[in-house]
Amino acid sequence: MPIIFVCSVPFGGGERLARILAEKLGYAFLSRDDVVGKANECGIPVGKLEVATVKKPAVRERLARLKERYLAVATATICEKAAEGNLVYYGRAGHFLLPGVSHVLRVRVIPEHTQRLDTVVQRTKLSRGKAETLLCDIDADIRSWVQFVHGVDMDDFHRYDLVINLEHLSIENAAMAVCGIADLPDFRPTPASRKAMEERLLQARARIKLALDERSADADLTVRSNDGVVTITYMPRQAALASVVPQVLHDLPGCQELRCTVASTNILWIQEEFRSGAATSGQLIELARRWGAAVELLRYRPDEVDEVDGAPPPEPATSGTKPGAAGGVEDDVPETVSDSDRAFQDALALLVHSGRSGGGQSVAGNRERLVSAINPNIPYSLVVVGDLFLKKGSAVRTRMTRELTNFLADHIKAPVIPIAELAARLRFGPAQIARLAASAVLMVALYALVFSHQETVLNVLAGPFHNAHPWGAVALVAVLAPLAAGLNAVVTSSVLRLMKLD
Amino acid sequence: MGGLFGGGFMALTWVNAMIVVFLGFVGGVLSGFTGSGGAFFMTPGMMNLGVTGVVAVGSNVAHRLGNNLMGSLKHAKLGNVDKKLAIFLVVPALIAVRVAVWINGRLLHVSSGHEGGGEGAVSNLYISLVFVGVLTAVGIFILRDALRSRDAKEAEGPSMRVVNFVAGLHLPPYVTFPVADVRVSLWLVVLVGLVVGYLDGTVAIGGFVGVPAMIYLFGVPTSVAPGTELFLAMFGGGLAALSYAYQGLVDLRLTFLLLLGSIVGVYVGTYGTKVVKEVLIRLVMGSVILLCVLSRALALPVYLRQMGVVRFAPYLDAWFNVGSTVMLFAAGIGGTGLILILVVRAHIAQLRIHSTLQVSDPGLDS
Repeated sequence: MPIIFVCSVPFGGGERLARILAEKLGYAFLSRDDVVGKANECGIPVGKLEVATVKKPAVRERLARLKERYLAVATATICEKAAEGNLVYYGRAGHFLLPGVSHVLRVRVIPEHTQRLDTVVQRTKLSRGKAETLLCDIDADIRSWVQFVHGVDMDDFHRYDLVINLEHLSIENAAMAVCGIADLPDFRPTPASRKAMEERLLQARARIKLALDERSADADLTVRSNDGVVTITYMPRQAALASVVPQVLHDLPGCQELRCTVASTNILWIQEEFRSGAATSGQLIELARRWGAAVELLRYRPDEVDEVDGAPPPEPATSGTKPGAAGGVEDDVPETVSDSDRAFQDALALLVHSGRSGGGQSVAGNRERLVSAINPNIPYSLVVVGDLFLKKGSAVRTRMTRELTNFLADHIKAPVIPIAELAARLRFGPAQIARLAASAVLMVALYALVFSHQETVLNVLAGPFHNAHPWGAVALVAVLAPLAAGLNAVVTSSVLRLMKLD
Repeated sequence: MGGLFGGGFMALTWVNAMIVVFLGFVGGVLSGFTGSGGAFFMTPGMMNLGVTGVVAVGSNVAHRLGNNLMGSLKHAKLGNVDKKLAIFLVVPALIAVRVAVWINGRLLHVSSGHEGGGEGAVSNLYISLVFVGVLTAVGIFILRDALRSRDAKEAEGPSMRVVNFVAGLHLPPYVTFPVADVRVSLWLVVLVGLVVGYLDGTVAIGGFVGVPAMIYLFGVPTSVAPGTELFLAMFGGGLAALSYAYQGLVDLRLTFLLLLGSIVGVYVGTYGTKVVKEVLIRLVMGSVILLCVLSRALALPVYLRQMGVVRFAPYLDAWFNVGSTVMLFAAGIGGTGLILILVVRAHIAQLRIHSTLQVSDPGLDS
């Protein structure tokens, strides 16, 4: 059965619905209050964090660090509770903590406004007008919080499996409806989704351990895990962490291997198959080296969901036979390692050897699943879309890849480019040399022209000619200043690229 | 230093041309490092070389024409520009730019009223006073904020007093800005637009007020504020540059020389942000700004003497100028030197720790 996330605003009946659900289904119940209590125990002042974030101040290093810690504590609390058995969670947007975990039922509750207002008036003894204002302020603050913490709009209903409007539905009947939906096979856990949750828990535990140790408490880290391999990426300015991180995480339960990478930014590479020895790997490592970046691999299998859409619902995996894929994180069978898995591991190992590993993960399903698996809190400087839709014909593959690239560009705050463009960006062949030479010649000519005819130029800018034709100076500045800036920029960036320092 | 066309344009020698390139480089490094433009260093630097203040401002805003365009396009591509907010800001900003340029142009031709007074003394004094006044406040604010956050145990973000105070004011009508996700009083937006435009037009340091105002007064996220400010500067700075050009107050030679240094400097400074802690960036920025302010303050007595407001022997002008120049260059070289040292150190450290650490990796060991 799934983990049920009930998301609502306060006084809206969401908590009651969640409690009834837990009672009816015999699930454990966890609320945001429990998570906040746990976070406070770990020294995270959630109240202060809320005050600082709802007003949208400058998001600075410490604030961002605190947010990461809070997310880690919240993830660990939910995952640990869910590991004990089935779970109903009531909060604001807890489901965003488990990207890639498919056995999650995301329920959004829309409260009945009059009922909600009555509840507030009754509890706070405020006038209806003031209660109305209070509710508006609370809702706005919660929206700001979700935007800050998860980087998403909590009112985007595409992000929920079920939206319940309590205007025409009682809470008891709503609970019955949710119980029915929760029983559907689509939301049943698969070995892969369980594994994905274990990875989230491992990742969260690693982050908490690092946050609680005073040697690494102030560090800005990116923590990822895949197949029990924990990858820690930290900024070059925190070079001292090289020896600290392994010491802090040496007894992390479930961690089979620890990899630390120094990187000042992140590149995400999305591809269906990572073939060993492919030229693309070399190109990306080269780019990562130039940028001081870590490369994160995301193996995406878009076609697998197509098979599921038309397929009968999968049976629960009880008889030892492999259940049908249900979308979400791919349904790997750990005992058998396919060529594809091996190639993926080889590609990861290549990055590790190059000191550029940013971790890796696998995702299957539609493009929304892909977006949900990409952590919005990781600042990617580039997302590279590699070869995808390999089962399709060439023309269809090109079109679908382009569409996916555009979709990602609309949903991720980072430049998204197809792999072919990456090669063009890195190439410094005859065309680039010609461009550099032409720009340099033009620049020298422009500077020579201006500085060898200073009297004439100054005459146009401020001399007798200017007195007669002041627009001449405007035209000269409007044309030459941006031209000189452009030529300077092209020459400088090209020279840096030539020196591989871009 | 010989002057051309009324003394505002200096005769270029190899030495002062190289100094202008250096000013551009230092300004570029500080700009890339702090993200706030390097006018606070380049403009007084050129004034210390003998360029009339208003020509220094005009040449500096012209040098930013192309940079603002490229920077704002890059930010827009990343979705970091709230175009609606920029448009609401740009209208009052353009009005204020025109007013600022008009004031600067008029003051340039105001006689000092003192026998033997230097030409442009009133204009230079006015520009220097605005410079000193605004940057003192900005420098102290940045430095205090940096020191406070360095000492703070927990992150609470910047002081919320101003935001809370502004949020408590009821100044309808309110406008909602979708990308920044804020709702702000129109009057506040107009006020900030006017101030930014005035400062952009007067001393080309509108960004110093624009970015913090968006963050602290409007609550705009830090990722969106610089992009929006660059978008605003593209129009405000553009109008200022062209207005100064119309008045004959842009020295294109200085613009070209500044560009030669600043673009390389921006690359170095931007790399510096990756390897230096944010609190150190703000400490460097606050310190350099305050030293630049002190340097400009040292030049004030010269203008006051030229206007006849204070009396001392004219030969002392040279001492004040030397003191001002030395302090400015000490600030620039110190700040840039520190950044360069940190960049090189970090680069070496990165090369040293480049290889990935592995606690255990049986697959790779075999």
